[in-house]
Amino acid sequence: MGILGLTALPVAGGILAIVFARLAKDRIIHSDQEGDGLATAGQTLGVISLVLIGLAAVVFFMQDNLKEFYEDFFNWETMRFWFPKLAKAFLTTLKLAVVSEFFILIFGLILALMRISRLRTFRFAAAVYIDVIRGLPLILQIFIIYFGLSYLGLNFSRFTAGVVSLTVCYAAYEAEIFRAGIESIHKGQMEAARSLGMTYLQSMRYIVLPQAVRRVIPPLSNEFVMLTKDTALVAFIGMSEVFQVGKEAMGRDANVTPLMGVAFFFLLVTIPAMRVVQYLEKRMGRGD
Amino acid sequence: MIETARNGNGKDVTETPYDGPMISIVGLHKKFGDFDALKGIDLDVNPSEVVVVVGPSGSGKSTMLRCINGLEQATRGQVFIEGIDITHRATDINEMRQKVGMVFQSFNLFPHLTAIGNVTLAPIKVKGMDQEEADAHGREILEKVGLGDKADAFPAHLSGGQQQRVAIARALAMDPDVMLFDEVTSALDPELVKEVLDTMKGLAREGMTMVVVTHEMGFAKEVGDRLIFMDEGLVVEDGEPAEVFNNPQHPRTQEFFSKILSHL
Repeated sequence: MGILGLTALPVAGGILAIVFARLAKDRIIHSDQEGDGLATAGQTLGVISLVLIGLAAVVFFMQDNLKEFYEDFFNWETMRFWFPKLAKAFLTTLKLAVVSEFFILIFGLILALMRISRLRTFRFAAAVYIDVIRGLPLILQIFIIYFGLSYLGLNFSRFTAGVVSLTVCYAAYEAEIFRAGIESIHKGQMEAARSLGMTYLQSMRYIVLPQAVRRVIPPLSNEFVMLTKDTALVAFIGMSEVFQVGKEAMGRDANVTPLMGVAFFFLLVTIPAMRVVQYLEKRMGRGD
Repeated sequence: MIETARNGNGKDVTETPYDGPMISIVGLHKKFGDFDALKGIDLDVNPSEVVVVVGPSGSGKSTMLRCINGLEQATRGQVFIEGIDITHRATDINEMRQKVGMVFQSFNLFPHLTAIGNVTLAPIKVKGMDQEEADAHGREILEKVGLGDKADAFPAHLSGGQQQRVAIARALAMDPDVMLFDEVTSALDPELVKEVLDTMKGLAREGMTMVVVTHEMGFAKEVGDRLIFMDEGLVVEDGEPAEVFNNPQHPRTQEFFSKILSHL
């Protein structure tokens, strides 16, 4: 009964918040006043209230399991101990993603240019590479490359091996994005450039690529978000990035809390990054 | 003439000033798959001549124009620019294109560059002109086409007529010996056509060699030294504009003119 009483409050509050927010928003739209942010905040609060009701329901139905769940997933003792170590490992994760992205962009662009080259050998080689890589699970590629490199007598550090495997894989995807971008530029641009006496490569560099790259920034940023997440797979070759450290911590403390910490760090980067992508897409959609 | 020109790939020509036709097209064929776009074009264009090319759509006018600067490769036959065969493998097509300016129906301005950026890019990258010199030269040309005040505007902020004049300026900035115009007023609103045609008239007056594919019969009559009528990949009629207009010899020419003149 107590739970029900507590629930009634957020229900009323939540519904009211949503109604007020809607009203405020309409008024702002019709009279061009500032305050859009406030209205949105009201709306969000309303939604949060409703979520709280959901939680209340969960508390009501799972009182016994809940304490156990809480202990296992949100143990503050464990969190306090592992948090700094996870933070440090996450820096490695970010470094892995950024360094890889640097090489991916270069290699991906080269692959894309080969893919649309007039030379059949280039076109064929790039097409085969892209198809094979895109047709394989990343985790499999990471293993093959890691063990393959050591057989070749190349004793790369785990970090380098991680960069190499992520580059090999993601370059194939980003090559396709670059290619789509280049092909989306009207062929009249290339013709106009060539008619002025510029070589193919000059026309590419000064006319086509500047326009194509601008156009593919949103999908490329999206790839970067995916890449950041996929760095976790490098844990399987023993690289101590954030997922690997979290996994070890989980094993040692027999507690899931460190993984929640890992999740926190990923979201810290991926959510803002996704917002930026969406903003960029919106701006491009406006026809810049 | 053709024999010496073919052998005179570069050196011979520079030693004795070339005085043959500016453009010489010999037996030009172009196939697109199974479609014969050009079925044997022979045409000479003399220096300072303004040749206007008319004909129904699909007659091969644009294809012929695009063969003159190598945007399309001839299936058979040759195209000589100042005596040099541009269809020959050993010819540096990029170098030849510097002599041949081209203006397109759809402008094809570089949208990421300002008007002056459009005009100066090729002189800087192709001719190795330094930025300041190219800039001064470019502004002069923009002034000439009446757009001195628009040098720093991006193409998206210019009207169609202004964009097309920037495109003309861009081609002129390479100091070409020949200008090719491919239906340059067809994509323009009617009230913007005149400013572009006036710019072209100015060029013709200065003695520029021009090949103009157009539907503007008024321009053909007023500015053209010669009028060429093409149909189904062949030159059907070639003569003085007034002569061809008033007294077309070929039935297809008669039919074409009767159709468009009934519109006017």
